[in-house]
Amino acid sequence: MTPYEYPKSTELLARASKVIPGGIYGHFGPPPYVPVSAYPFWSDRAQGAHFWDVDGNRFIDYMCAYGPMILGYANPVVDAAYKAQMEQADSNSLCSPRMIELAELMVDMIPIADWAFFAKNGADMTNLAVMTARAATNRKKIIAIKGGYHGTTPWMQGPGHHGLTDDDLNHIIRIPFNDIVALERAISQYPNDVAGFISSPYHHPIFTDNELPAPGYWQQVQALLKKNGIVFIIDDVRAGFRVNLGGTCEQYGFKPDLIAFCKAIGNGYPISALVGTEALRNDVSKVFHTGSYWFSAGPMAAAIATLTELRRIDGPKILRETGEKLAKGMIDVAASHGYTIKVSGEPSMMYVRITDDPTLMLQQAWCGECTRRGAFFTSHHNWFVSTAHTDEDIQETLRICDEAFKAVKKTA
Amino acid sequence: MTCREVIPIHPITPMPHAGNPRLVRAILKNAPVCASFKLPAKACRHGLEGLSIMGVDQIKASLNLGAVLQNLAELCRLDPESQKLIRDWDVCVQFTVFAGPKAWVEFRGGECRTGLGTTALSDVHLVFVTPGHLNAMFAGSAIPPIPVKGFKRLGFLKNEFPRITARLEHYLKPGPGMLDDPAFLAANTTLTLHTAANALRELVKTEPTAGKIAAGTPTGRLQLAVGSDGPAAWVSFSPNGMEVGRGRLEHPDATMTFRDIPVAQGVLSGKEDGLAAIGRGEVVIWGMLPLIDSATLIMDRVERYLA
Repeated sequence: MTPYEYPKSTELLARASKVIPGGIYGHFGPPPYVPVSAYPFWSDRAQGAHFWDVDGNRFIDYMCAYGPMILGYANPVVDAAYKAQMEQADSNSLCSPRMIELAELMVDMIPIADWAFFAKNGADMTNLAVMTARAATNRKKIIAIKGGYHGTTPWMQGPGHHGLTDDDLNHIIRIPFNDIVALERAISQYPNDVAGFISSPYHHPIFTDNELPAPGYWQQVQALLKKNGIVFIIDDVRAGFRVNLGGTCEQYGFKPDLIAFCKAIGNGYPISALVGTEALRNDVSKVFHTGSYWFSAGPMAAAIATLTELRRIDGPKILRETGEKLAKGMIDVAASHGYTIKVSGEPSMMYVRITDDPTLMLQQAWCGECTRRGAFFTSHHNWFVSTAHTDEDIQETLRICDEAFKAVKKTA
Repeated sequence: MTCREVIPIHPITPMPHAGNPRLVRAILKNAPVCASFKLPAKACRHGLEGLSIMGVDQIKASLNLGAVLQNLAELCRLDPESQKLIRDWDVCVQFTVFAGPKAWVEFRGGECRTGLGTTALSDVHLVFVTPGHLNAMFAGSAIPPIPVKGFKRLGFLKNEFPRITARLEHYLKPGPGMLDDPAFLAANTTLTLHTAANALRELVKTEPTAGKIAAGTPTGRLQLAVGSDGPAAWVSFSPNGMEVGRGRLEHPDATMTFRDIPVAQGVLSGKEDGLAAIGRGEVVIWGMLPLIDSATLIMDRVERYLA
């Protein structure tokens, strides 16, 4: 096939750069898309597992809006629930009963949850979790994982990032994932001063192979934190509902005190949630944390529909099977060209790396060639599949992978 | 992603009584050149929160010697007037900050070489009692360094050396309209690129936050270059420390290539939005992007000290 070109997208980016910092800011910004020329940046149509860019090119989407799209774009069940709610009320001067219904649903679905608190973004909830931990313990320090991502609030960022002061990171201790000894050391280094430990349920950094928890790791962590009175926070913003509808911790057999959710919870409608145990109910209720749109009923209705639908169809099972088919197919296609693909993390949000080139340049070239042929792959971040990805999508994707390897070989 | 400004080097005015042991002792005792001693130990000026004035002066001194002074070699390679100036020079000058950074610059056979640390080959040895003393000189202070060797070459320091530093200032601190001249723009950009690369190494050595950024960066070598045949420099991150160099690597782990000189000048000077330039394809990046992310984060810190 003829690789895509993006004249309108390029034109829009130039236009945007005059009025929007960086042209596009944040994780949608151009820098990680390497080479930039292989990627579109603007779209105004999406359906199922596909989106179309402004040049009319169609893509099988493996970023799923960076995670939110779990049932597919414009899912009729979710959209109907949202539209129905919007016809009644969205932002209002009073709360909608949808808030109670969603909280009840989450408390019912998630074993550790005795209550739920809603906001808009993942960072709203990781912030609330950390404040709750500090409120509950009267301690300052937070232990987090090196390379772990919990949003862009100053305490969550790395040293030297713009807009931070050194003080912002004073109470954050970073340790490696899967390292119980490091956790023990950090706790003993700050006796009675560690308020919370925050981690994703498995390690899914960017640019690096993802890492599942070692057998027994989480159970040891849970016991150690309990012994030392430290609040156990799981950031399930990215993986939540993609691995297990009870929270990813259920998959790995452990019980945190707090779980932050976002992304997949509303199939793209803006909503996030923090759920927690009875022991922390009073503490979280005393933390003042709110936002202008945190009570909007439309996304709550969408979240109820999304979670209900995921439960009805056993979404995590479908996602796992789809991810495994894609991973196996890609590994085989790569091998047929003499390359090795390594897939890490959970199949529903796998991280894919071509191991033949540690600089990632080959990986970037191949992902770019795939994208120019209609499979939207990034080279730096884990991918996502949705329940809307069909076997035909996977087969088409594998054909694209094959062509992309040929193209990469030709230019190597 | 900016190295917005580099400090101008001002002519060195040798002290009339240089080498006078009594005077040296008096200076060391009273440290009159470093007014910063009188300021609170923790200063929050200039966004340098958490660093003492001593710490800031140390960082600035490292940047002045390790990044700015090092550019004299590049200047003499690319500027015909500088080449003419140094054609007959035969001298090596050692700069030493007491309990601080050291560097040297050598002019022999029509070429200029620079280096960090000390050299046994120096003909002139200038001592600065504190990092602040050195920085004051770089900022144009009339308080001179203390020559402890090469008293017979004081004439060179007073009359000739300032001419080459003036050339460097000419390129690094252009006046209005000067960048419209393509040749001048190219020289300015080349020097700025090398200053940025060297400054990166110096900050990692001396500035706690830059050190933390480097410590969290994977091992690898980043190529910074302009076009396919323009000026180029590289930086190498490793657990053993950072190295920088000029020219092109055969197998870098990451590359950041500016389309042309004007793009490089715009981005490196901070006049252009580097992220937007990547989006427009004017700056092309490849490979281990964490190397680029870390390098640009550290480079962005340079302006805190050299502004």
